[in-house]
Amino acid sequence: MQFVVNGLVTGAAYALVALSFSVVFRVGRFFNFTHAAVFTWAGYFGYLCWTILGLSLWAGALLSVCLSAVLGVLLELSVYMPLHRRRASGVVLLLVSLGLYTIMQNTISMLFGDEIKRLSGNTVAEGLSVWGARATRIQLAIVIICVVVFVAFGILLRLSPFGTRLRAVADDPDLAAIQGVQVHRFRLAASALGSGLAAVVSLLMGLDVGITPTVGLNALMMGVVAVIAGGVDSTPGIFLGGILLGLAQHLGVWKIGTQWQDAIAFAVLILFLVLRPQGFFGKPLRKAAV
Amino acid sequence: MDYLIHILVLVCIFAVLTVSLDLLAGHMGSLSIAHAAFYGLGAYTSALIVTRIGAPFVIGVAAGTVVAAAISFIVSLPSLRLHDDYFVIATFGFQMILVSIFNNWMHVTRGPLGIPGIPQPVIFGWHISSHADFLILAFVFAAFAYFVVYRLTSSPFGRVLHAIREDEVFAQALGKNTLRFKVTAFAVSAALAAMAGSLYAHYITYIDPTSFTVMESILVISMVIIGGAGSTWGPLVGAVVLVTLPEALRFVGLPSNVAANLRQIFYGALLVVMMMFRPRGLAGRYSFGR
Amino acid sequence: MNAFRCQKLSKSFDGVHAIDGVTLEFPASGITAIIGPNGAGKTTLLNVLTGFLRPKAGRCFLGERETTHLPPHRIARLGVARTFQDLRLIGQVSVLDNVLVARPHQRGERLLPALLRFGVADEEACNRDEAMRWLRFVGLEKKAEDLAGEMSYGQQKLLTLAVCLATEARVLLLDEPVAGVHPEMVSRILCLLRELKKQGKAIVFIEHDMAAVRQVAESVIVMDEGKVIAQGQPAEVLERPEIMEAYVG
Repeated sequence: MQFVVNGLVTGAAYALVALSFSVVFRVGRFFNFTHAAVFTWAGYFGYLCWTILGLSLWAGALLSVCLSAVLGVLLELSVYMPLHRRRASGVVLLLVSLGLYTIMQNTISMLFGDEIKRLSGNTVAEGLSVWGARATRIQLAIVIICVVVFVAFGILLRLSPFGTRLRAVADDPDLAAIQGVQVHRFRLAASALGSGLAAVVSLLMGLDVGITPTVGLNALMMGVVAVIAGGVDSTPGIFLGGILLGLAQHLGVWKIGTQWQDAIAFAVLILFLVLRPQGFFGKPLRKAAV
Repeated sequence: MDYLIHILVLVCIFAVLTVSLDLLAGHMGSLSIAHAAFYGLGAYTSALIVTRIGAPFVIGVAAGTVVAAAISFIVSLPSLRLHDDYFVIATFGFQMILVSIFNNWMHVTRGPLGIPGIPQPVIFGWHISSHADFLILAFVFAAFAYFVVYRLTSSPFGRVLHAIREDEVFAQALGKNTLRFKVTAFAVSAALAAMAGSLYAHYITYIDPTSFTVMESILVISMVIIGGAGSTWGPLVGAVVLVTLPEALRFVGLPSNVAANLRQIFYGALLVVMMMFRPRGLAGRYSFGR
Repeated sequence: MNAFRCQKLSKSFDGVHAIDGVTLEFPASGITAIIGPNGAGKTTLLNVLTGFLRPKAGRCFLGERETTHLPPHRIARLGVARTFQDLRLIGQVSVLDNVLVARPHQRGERLLPALLRFGVADEEACNRDEAMRWLRFVGLEKKAEDLAGEMSYGQQKLLTLAVCLATEARVLLLDEPVAGVHPEMVSRILCLLRELKKQGKAIVFIEHDMAAVRQVAESVIVMDEGKVIAQGQPAEVLERPEIMEAYVG
C-alpha cells in the first residue's frame, strides 16, 4: 500500500511537470530546456525566500512562483521572441535553450553549491496515515494541488478563449496570427503560465525531498515521459501519463530496487515510442508528411 | 611540457567525439543529446573488461564500440521513425538513464566511487605510458574517426545523408530506405564515441559518472556548432577552441569548483551567441537547422 | 497491363473525405492527366499511390503487385518516381548531386563499400555518365555544377524531371509539371513528356493548365470532392459542360 501512495504522490508531481512542459512545448513548438532551468531556479527562489529571508510559507511560495513566472517571461521576451520573429527552426531554438540551460544551472551551482538543500521546516513534514500507509502533509498537498490544477486547466481550456488559441498557435502560428491571435503576446502569457506551474511543482517537490542544481533536468525528463505517454495535446492523457509513470516507478522499486526508477521511466518512454508514439489520447504525430 | 601534451591529448579525444557527432548533427541533421552516454558506455565497457577479466586494451576498445553500436539501436529504431523532436527526446532520456545506471549499478560500476586503476594500454607489446606515447595513440584515434566520417560523408552514403538532412521526403521518394541510413549513421557515431571513451578511461586510468553527464553532451554539441556543423574542419576547430580556451581560466587562480562552473557557463554563452549571430559556426558552410 | 490500379480508395483528414472511393486504372504507357478544382483530392491521391499517406480503405496495385501498405521507398523501388508541387530538391548541393542521389542500387550507399571503396569509383563514374545523360536530356548539362537552389523556378522543374528519370522508373507521377513556369519553358517540358512517352514510360500528371492538358494528354481523369467524376479522351471530356461547371463552380 505504501508503494501505491508513494506512486500516486510521485505521479501527481510528474503529471504537473508534464502539464507545465506541455504548455511551453506546444506554444513554443520546440523542446525547451530552459523550462528545466526555470524549475530549478524556482526551487532556489523558495530556498532564498524561506531559509534566507525567513518569509512565511505562503508569502515565500507566492513570491517564488511570481519570480519564476517573471523569469519565464523574461526568457521569452529577450531570447525566444526575437528568434521566433526571425523564423528560427526548432533545432536553433533547442540549441539556444540548451546553452541557456547550461548557464542557468551552473550559476545556481556557483551560488549555492551542488549539495542537497532542504526547504522544509518541521511543520510540513508531519506524517499522516492514509489507507494504512504513511504520507506527509506536503505529499498530500501535492496530490490535492495536482487534481485542482488539472481540473482548473481543463475548465480554462474549455470555457475560455485560451484553449482555442493554444490549439491554434500549437498547430500553426502563422495561421493563428491571421485568425487574429496575437501570437507573441499569447506566447508571453503561456510562458508565464508554464513557468508559474513549474514553480509550484518545484516548490512542492523541494519541500518534500529537497533541491539540487539538477532537479530541473530530472523533473523535465519525467515530465517529458509523461507527456509522451499521455499525448502532448490531451490534458487527461497527461494526467494519466504522470500518475501511471509514478505508479510504475514505485511498483518497480518494490520489485527490483530504488536505483532502477530512472531506467523504468526510460523503458516506458521507449515502449510508447515503439507502440503508441501519440500517447493514450493524443492525435497521431507522425513524421512531417508531404 | 607534459601539461601541453595533456591538453593536446584531450583535444584529440574530443575531436573523436565532435567528428562522430557531426556525422549525425551536421551531415544527417539529427541532434543527439546522448553522445556523452555512448562515450561513457565505451569507457565503462572497456574499463570493466580490462580490469575484471584482464583482457588487453584492444579487446576493451573493440568491446566498447560493439556494445555502443548495439545499444544505439534501442534509441534509434523507435525514435528515428518519428518526428525529429522525438529523436531529441529519446536521446535525452537515454542520456539521463545511462548516467543513472553508471551511478546506481553499484556492484558493477561502483557508482559515484568510479573505477580506479584502469591499466594503461599495451598494444602488441608497445606499452603506452608517457604523455607523448598517449598523444600518438590519441592522434591515431582522432585520425581514424576523421577518416571514417570523411569517407562516409564524401561517398554516395553521405550523399543520401545530406538528402535526408535537407528533405527526408525527397530521399524516400527516390527509393531510399531513410530509416536504414539514419540507424546506420547513428550506430557508427555511437561506436566512434565509445572508442573515445575507452581511450579516455585508459588515459586517465580512473572513471566516474561525472565525466559522462548531459553537460558533457552539451559541451560536445557546442563544439560542433561553434566550429561549424556539417563542414570538413568545423568539428575539429570546435574541439581545439573549446578545449584550449577555457584552460586560460586555470591561470586566473579561481577555486577549482568555481572554475568548472565558469567554464560551462562560458560554453553555454558561446553556444547561445553563436546560434543567435553566426549559426553556421566558425568554419562552417551550412547554417545549422535552417 | 496497367501502370497503377486502385480500388475504392479512400482517405480522410479529420473526418473530411479527401478522396472517397476512387477506383481507377492508369495505362502502362502513354500520358494521363488528372484535373479538377483545388481540394478535389488530386495530390492526396498521388500521395496515397506513392505510399506517403496511408489510405483509410481500398487497395492499390502496381501491375499485379499490391502496394497498399508498402512504405514510400519500397514503392519507389518498384519503378515509380514522382515530383512534388513544392519542388523538393536539395538546394544546398549541386545540380549533378541531386540527380546522382536518385540513381538506384548504389553499392556506395552501403556502409562497408562506402568506407572501403571497393568498386565504388567505377560505379560512381557510371552513375555520373547516366546522370549527365539525363541532365542533357532536359537541357541542364551546363548547370551541372551550380547549386540547385540558385536556379530559376523553371529550371528547378526541369531538374525534378531529370531526378525522376535518373531513378529509371517506368511510371512517372508529376504534380503540376508546368504550373508557374514561363510559356517557352512549358512547351519545352511538354516536348520532353512526349519524348518520354515514346521511350515507353507511363506518365500521370496533375495540371490546371488546360492548354497543356489538351496538347499532351491521351486520357483525362476529372476529380471533384474526392471522387472521379469523368474519365476519357481530352477532346471529348473537356467539352462536356458539366465538367467545366465543376471547374468554375
